[in-house]
Amino acid sequence: MVQYNFKKMTVVPNGKDFIDIILSRTQRQTPTVVHKGYAISRLRQFYMRKVKYTQQNFHEKLSTIVDEFPRLDDIHPFYGDLLHVLYNKDHYKLALGQINTARNLIGKISKDYVKLLKYGDSLYRCKCLKVAALGRMCTVIKRIGPSLAYLEQIRQHMARLPSIDPNTRTILICGYPNVGKSSFINKITRADVDVQPYAFTTKSLFVGHTDYKYLRYQVIDTPGILDRPFEDRNIIEMCSITALAHLRAAVLFFLDISGSCGYSIAQQAALFHSIKSLFMNKPLIIVCNKTDLQPLDGISEEDKKLVAEMKSEAMKTVIGQGGEATNDDGVLLTMSTLTEEGVIAVKNAACDRLLNQRVELKMKSKKINDCLNRFHVAMPKPRDNKERPPCIPQAVIEAKIKQAAEKEKRQTERDLENENGGAGVYSASLKKHYILANDEWKEDVMPEILDGHNVYDFVDPDILHRLEELEREEGLRQEEEGDDFEMDGLELTPEEKKTLAAIRKKKSLLIQEHRIKKSTAESRPIVPRKFDKDREFTTKRMGRQLSKLGIDPSRAIERARSRSVSRGRKRERSVDRGDTDGGDAMEVDTPNKKQRMLSRSRSRSRSRPPTEVVPGEGFKDSNQKAKALQKARKSNKNRNKDARRGEADRVIPTLKPKHLFSGKRSIGKTQRPNALRISTASKSHLSPAFSLSRCFSTVLDGLKYASSHEWVKHEGSVATIGITDHAQDHLGEVVFVELPESGRSVSQGGSFGAVESVKATSDVNSPISGQVVEVNSKLTESPGLINSSPYEDGWMIKIKPSSPSELESLLGPKEYTKFCEEEDAAH
Amino acid sequence: MATRLQFENSCEVGVFSKLTNAYCLVAIGGSENFYSTFEGELADVIPVVKTSIGGTRIIGRLCAGNKNGLLVPHTTTDQELQHLRNSLPDQVVVQRIEERLSALGNCIACNDHVALTHTDLDRETEEMIADVLGVEVFRQTIAGNILVGSFCAFTNRGGLVHPHTSVEDLDELSTLLQVPLVAGTVNRGSEVIGAGMIVNDWTAFCGLDTTATELSVIESVFKLREAQPSAIVDEMRKSLIDSYV
Repeated sequence: MVQYNFKKMTVVPNGKDFIDIILSRTQRQTPTVVHKGYAISRLRQFYMRKVKYTQQNFHEKLSTIVDEFPRLDDIHPFYGDLLHVLYNKDHYKLALGQINTARNLIGKISKDYVKLLKYGDSLYRCKCLKVAALGRMCTVIKRIGPSLAYLEQIRQHMARLPSIDPNTRTILICGYPNVGKSSFINKITRADVDVQPYAFTTKSLFVGHTDYKYLRYQVIDTPGILDRPFEDRNIIEMCSITALAHLRAAVLFFLDISGSCGYSIAQQAALFHSIKSLFMNKPLIIVCNKTDLQPLDGISEEDKKLVAEMKSEAMKTVIGQGGEATNDDGVLLTMSTLTEEGVIAVKNAACDRLLNQRVELKMKSKKINDCLNRFHVAMPKPRDNKERPPCIPQAVIEAKIKQAAEKEKRQTERDLENENGGAGVYSASLKKHYILANDEWKEDVMPEILDGHNVYDFVDPDILHRLEELEREEGLRQEEEGDDFEMDGLELTPEEKKTLAAIRKKKSLLIQEHRIKKSTAESRPIVPRKFDKDREFTTKRMGRQLSKLGIDPSRAIERARSRSVSRGRKRERSVDRGDTDGGDAMEVDTPNKKQRMLSRSRSRSRSRPPTEVVPGEGFKDSNQKAKALQKARKSNKNRNKDARRGEADRVIPTLKPKHLFSGKRSIGKTQRPNALRISTASKSHLSPAFSLSRCFSTVLDGLKYASSHEWVKHEGSVATIGITDHAQDHLGEVVFVELPESGRSVSQGGSFGAVESVKATSDVNSPISGQVVEVNSKLTESPGLINSSPYEDGWMIKIKPSSPSELESLLGPKEYTKFCEEEDAAH
Repeated sequence: MATRLQFENSCEVGVFSKLTNAYCLVAIGGSENFYSTFEGELADVIPVVKTSIGGTRIIGRLCAGNKNGLLVPHTTTDQELQHLRNSLPDQVVVQRIEERLSALGNCIACNDHVALTHTDLDRETEEMIADVLGVEVFRQTIAGNILVGSFCAFTNRGGLVHPHTSVEDLDELSTLLQVPLVAGTVNRGSEVIGAGMIVNDWTAFCGLDTTATELSVIESVFKLREAQPSAIVDEMRKSLIDSYV
């Protein structure tokens, strides 16, 4: 059966929203990055995809609209007509038609532009084509904007229509405005229809439900109808007419016999006759309402005649259904919704007649044959004389009687549950209602398994009987054996008591002795240390004593000697020690493992070296197993549990290493802004050309050189000292020279001054010892002299050497050149 | 009196409970709602026992019984058996049976005098049913269904069977069982009568989906109120026709 539910239709967005939704979806769901460098096929494909995707979305959305709105020709004629009355079929169809056309147009646009895009030759062209395509699609949607808005309005209105099932049991209430239709529906159903004392309070159809004879009836309240030509009727009235025309329902025609609605009986009768064609084939009941104001008997003769006429008209519907003409109850009924007099009678009559009509129709259908068995009550034929009485406990019958008198509330488990924390918290005991001989047994814990046996395997229903029997038997036996076995000390004679005491003492002594014996390992005859403080009970002494007695002590001594249990003394095992029976000496002396194992029960399983191959492990030999074991050991790293430094530790590295951030930096040294020492060294590495030039730095003949790069020119009694060309070259531009005062004495290798260059400050050492006689004062004004002429004007001091032999230890020019080369190479 | 109820959102109350004239078994649920419905209705008269069978909650489908006895399948644990024996009066014999078809509730339908059984049940089981439950045993089908326990429910006063049972079958079954029978449904058209309701001689419990029409049929055929089974063909006939056809 078709369900008419218009509440679930999708919202129809208006034109602008529609475009926004679709375009934003295209933007979100298709790729957005493209470059003009891409292959042209890829560019085309990129834009084609956008166009196609947009078209698809438009198609989907428009299709849902077209599909979800009901087609007026396909739905039940009642709904078809109702929707026509409310929304105008032509307008509705036109709007849906426009949507459909728009859908096709967009499809065509997309097809065209995709075709054009196939010929797009650049990114720009492709993009323009895409923009044009999307633009045209949007224009199409913009044009159907009004239709979309109209459909959305209709959708909202349809969602609010009452859900009327056109096929179910229906009672339809109709009549002039203000005759009490809504009051009636409010009385018999739970619908809450507004009731006001003016015409057309009810402007649309209202639905309520009522029950009668286990069945549910749908009651429809219609707006009032006026008696006027069909064409003049307004939408509100047309709703009623539609319902009357198409619903197969019991019709209640309401007649206000008091005339308080503002229309006379004659007018109402006229309406009845003008719409009586709509009552054809429907159970019709004429309900004279408002009898509290005006009883039916009190109306005028003419009115009575009109009513009778209507009644006879209504009777036709009874006859039409095959009813008897004489049976006129349930055709004309009186009631008062104010006093509720006759309301239920009207409802029952309507339901009854409707049901009769429906049943009659259904009895004629084929379907009834499938269900005939369900209207049959099979009554048993007696097959024997056995009585099979029902079993209803007396308590039930009593409770029924009691229930009639008073209803007492029993405290149920649910109440307990609610008191004790609700479901999930409260846990009821399953043992609460056990039916046992003794109530105390209820909570007894019964083990499931005892001594490895399932307890329930030993439970049988007559266990108690058996126990009783056993007990009885035992009692009998005890009686027989009776008094002759008595262990009670009270009834012994003093002599017997003494004997008993003696026996017990002896017994305890024996036990004690035995225990002492047992406690010493292997029951060897060992004297405890505390009794042998002086170490006098030796085996030697024992041997002596035994041999004195004429007994061979060797076995006793051997037994007393401590030895490992299994192997025995090494001496015992040696081959040389010829035992009495030399035949199996070999076997005894070299006992193999197997024998040892056989001779002693194993207290623990044999230990094996880990590399020993056990069958089933899958190793060829122990070598392979050893390898595998090693691999396994290496494969899993042990967890670092002794707080050693590990890779998972959080480490803050030195953010500014001192060696990279201290000192000046020269031009082009941003990466390595460090001191001279390194820079000079690195320079030599980086530029071999420069280093080469340095190799040719001047070294003059006739001078002596120190390894700290000073030269000495010895002329007569005075020696001139300066720094070499090589040194000045390394230092760079010299900016300050610190010199000693004249008269000061200097020693070989001792510092006499310093040279400060743009790169570094360097001490100048004296190559020989002596006394300073002159200082080059020009250097203080122009220290650059050291750079320009290190051997001439750039001399530093003149000294009077104290021991000229020192000159011999200095380097010659050749040696110095070599030294310099080596030094540079080392850097 | 027929009551509508639900077991944890399931309308198949016959699956989770077993009702006879001498006792009522109820599955252990998450809350006490289901149990308390029975408790309120029955606990004054007969024991209402919470139990599981074989650790499951589908006790109604696993066991069969009447006022004389209770048959439980071989899946029942010793503890459950002991619990049942402790909870039920001594007159009720609780018996565990070794039957291949362990859903005894589906295979056996019985009242206090007659039982219908699955056609493939063992001979020993049949004897056991006759002995323990004190009934005559008939191997039968209901509307071609061999699971007789699922597709019918009957008491000493009346019975409801699968809706497709033919009129001839109805008459035959009625004569076998010696109670009036009606073909019908429970739970808004469910054919599995045995699963949808449980009933004894004075009360019935149906799934929550059961319609008013179904309920009134049940009350009439089981004579739970004053109404007699004949009411189904008299007063209710029209309503039934209108709702079925």
